[in-house]
Amino acid sequence: MITVEALEGPQKITWCTGCGNYGILAALKKAIVELDISHEDYVLVSGIGCSGKIPHYINLNSFHTLHGRPIPVATGLHMANKDLHVLVHTGDGDCLGEGMGHFIHAARRNVDLAVFIHNNGVNALTKGQFSPAAPRGYISKTSPPPPGSPMEPVNGVAHAIVAGATFVARGYSGDQKMLVELMKAAITHRGFAVVDILQPCVTWNRKLTWRYFNERTYSLEEAGHDPTDRGLALQKAFEYNGKIPIGIFYRTEAPLLIDGLSLPDVPLKDHVTDRSRLQALIDDQIL
Amino acid sequence: MDLSINIGGMAGQGIDTIGDLLTKVFVKTGFYIFTVKDFESRIRGGYNFTQIRVADNPVHCSVDDIDLIVALSKDAISAKRDQLVEGGIIIFDDRFDFDALEECHYPAPLSKKAREVGGSTRMTNAAALGALLSVIRFPFSLAEQVLTEIFGKKGEKIVEANVRVARSLYDLTEETFSGSCRHNLSMIDSIPSENRLIINGNQAIAYGAMAANVKWVSSYPMSPSTSAFIEIVSHANDLKIGTLQTEDELASLAMAIGASYGGVRSMVTTSGGGFSLMVEALGLAGMTETPVVIYNAQRPGPSTGLPTRTEQSDLLFTIFASQGEFPRIVLAPRDPLDAFDVVTRSFNLAERFQVPVIILGDQYLADSVMNVPRIDVTNVEIDRGKLAADRLDDPYMRYRLTDDGISPRAFPGDRGRFIVSSGNSHLEDGHITEDPAIRNAMVQKFLRKITAIKDALKPPDLYGAKTTKTVVVTWGSPWGAVREAIEHLEHEGVSIGHLHFTDIYPLRTKLLKDVFTSAERVISIEHNATSQFAKLVTMETGLKFDGYITKFDGRPMTPRWVILQLKEVGI
Ligand SMILES: Cc1ncc(C[n+]2csc(CCOP(=O)(O)OP(=O)(O)O)c2C)c(N)n1
Ligand code: SF4
Repeated sequence: MITVEALEGPQKITWCTGCGNYGILAALKKAIVELDISHEDYVLVSGIGCSGKIPHYINLNSFHTLHGRPIPVATGLHMANKDLHVLVHTGDGDCLGEGMGHFIHAARRNVDLAVFIHNNGVNALTKGQFSPAAPRGYISKTSPPPPGSPMEPVNGVAHAIVAGATFVARGYSGDQKMLVELMKAAITHRGFAVVDILQPCVTWNRKLTWRYFNERTYSLEEAGHDPTDRGLALQKAFEYNGKIPIGIFYRTEAPLLIDGLSLPDVPLKDHVTDRSRLQALIDDQIL
Repeated sequence: MDLSINIGGMAGQGIDTIGDLLTKVFVKTGFYIFTVKDFESRIRGGYNFTQIRVADNPVHCSVDDIDLIVALSKDAISAKRDQLVEGGIIIFDDRFDFDALEECHYPAPLSKKAREVGGSTRMTNAAALGALLSVIRFPFSLAEQVLTEIFGKKGEKIVEANVRVARSLYDLTEETFSGSCRHNLSMIDSIPSENRLIINGNQAIAYGAMAANVKWVSSYPMSPSTSAFIEIVSHANDLKIGTLQTEDELASLAMAIGASYGGVRSMVTTSGGGFSLMVEALGLAGMTETPVVIYNAQRPGPSTGLPTRTEQSDLLFTIFASQGEFPRIVLAPRDPLDAFDVVTRSFNLAERFQVPVIILGDQYLADSVMNVPRIDVTNVEIDRGKLAADRLDDPYMRYRLTDDGISPRAFPGDRGRFIVSSGNSHLEDGHITEDPAIRNAMVQKFLRKITAIKDALKPPDLYGAKTTKTVVVTWGSPWGAVREAIEHLEHEGVSIGHLHFTDIYPLRTKLLKDVFTSAERVISIEHNATSQFAKLVTMETGLKFDGYITKFDGRPMTPRWVILQLKEVGI
């Protein structure tokens, strides 16, 4: 069995002291240690941002891709080898801005991926500009003055539910215990699983702070939420201001993308086209 | 025998169907054919045509002169009449009044008989087929056999009705249409050709990819590439190939890159506008050294351009696309048969050198149909390049610095090692770095591949000697028209050679330099407005062409057009 030490990443972490990403990384390691899955069968696919650096801080297969594109890359990888557990780590700018289209389409395809959104309400790595998840009025150098970001934030949880994701949760970097459970559930879920993770960015975001979340988050499970009810899940997804629900919003079963394609029983990677079959198809067309 | 038949009408009138039928009839009886389609970007109406060239020797392009027009709309008469050879025949539906009738103009009751004999004017195309076969003296028995085979899938009743309609026009034509203009096809007994596989460029691309064991194809529809994707999708279940129509082109290439990282051969099909969207992911393939094949069936741009027509104007864009510098390979098939070879090689090259390979086709290549010898897919060579040994090279490093610049590949899921890839500048182990020395070493590693790539690419084909007075330089699909033009000129005693590139980039310059030193004049012929390949040659060698022939109206080149242009620049 793998230990947390063995998962220790090869590189020195460059995140700011106090960053919410530490909690996400710690939870990820714990989830992997606790799950009974060979660690060689994980692949981390990340986008670009502070969030995107996570593959370098953990010892696993990984592909650090482009800004906004980790989901399609992960989809292709999953198609190539369905035995792998493909986890996507992405930021709110990455996933809900640049990559929004991919996110919605992957959800409706029900690709068997676990997507962890490091949601800090800012584009952190490019120095704190408002991100798609920044609250209305968020002030940054690129939000038009005086009122700050002049629009409503993207609601990742609601979008995921509407688009057809079959596992939708919200976690909080400050609630390790729950986050580990959510990650394990997402990884083992058969289908498109999203965990929107509240992640304080201590450097840029003066609004969505540890304190802000500590005061507002509450557990859906403890509140008796029924995650099988899609309508209710959506209703809960819109509850964000005073109290912020965390936990599993929605969980269901639906056909996977791979079930709808003509894939072989073995992973595609290990399959070789029967060329005599192809020859026969061609010969059939010879007049 | 070298006969060209033009079947024209509105979209929705079954022009394609009779074109396909005729093509099959001729091939079945042993002729060589080359068929092109010309259509507007609309679903119904307008003016479209199919042009079939039938010959007893292999032909590789369409021609200007038309021997026989079949017109299912009035436009179809007027549009092509000027190209009719002397004594050429026009068969048209007698519903259209057409003044100035000449001996070889044949108003035939096509739609009338279709209704009377077959019960529906939808069989007008079968009627036209009957009239045409009679005019060219083609035994009906052969036609009947082919019709039965082709319509067979639609059920006996439909076959019968179509055959009856075709027969009625055939007989009627025999009785009523006379004239000295009949083309005699009585030599069909001699069966000159055994090339009985009819394919177009896109099918060849698809077959080649499948023969090369492509296992993942993600694409977004765009003319004229779509039929290549459709061809693969249609065999996906049979052959177990993963295919997906994605939300956009960027996703297509990103998925193909993910699949390739996962260990499968992957490909995308697109056209210029779609390739533009893929460019970001192209750079990812470059930086991560992930093999992938991109088929770009070019069409005239910029922007949406002429959606259903042809051009070769994405060459420089393809070579320069993406920020940053990395090796890539660009190949351009010259005709459908060549396309099969190019695609199978492209996968090997992509994996051997761990680079993106871009195949530059175009609408003319994609949609032109020819008959080729049986394609044997069973001995297509598959070279997956340098793979990490099964024993654990300890520790495995995806981007190990090697002398030839190629690091052994391994795939996630392998036991005892992790495969780390990154689109950021990275260390040998794949993890990111900003260290200047490593950055230099990694870029040099990329670039070291280029010499080896050049050696692995096919040198250009030189027809004739380099010492001829004039040498013409071409690439990609204009090959057929230019070849025929030059053969013609040679017969006339013109001192002219022809240098043709299929493997374009990185550019091999040896033969080019030879030609430029020994020929008096070097002329480029391209399907674009700015002579892009010539620019590339000048950029890489400093050599300047003596003449530039360009075509950018969206229509294919013909031998006669090429000859005229060559005479204009002076040969
Ligand atoms: C195509 C492209 N556009 C822009 C950038 C610049 N960029 C780097 S990170 C980033 C934002 C990241 O924000 P987010 O995904 O929220 O991640 P965070 O840094 O907050 O973790 C941007 C815009 C880029 N790398 N690529
Ligand atoms: S900038 Fe923000 S998100 Fe990035 S490492 Fe620092 S605290 Fe974390």
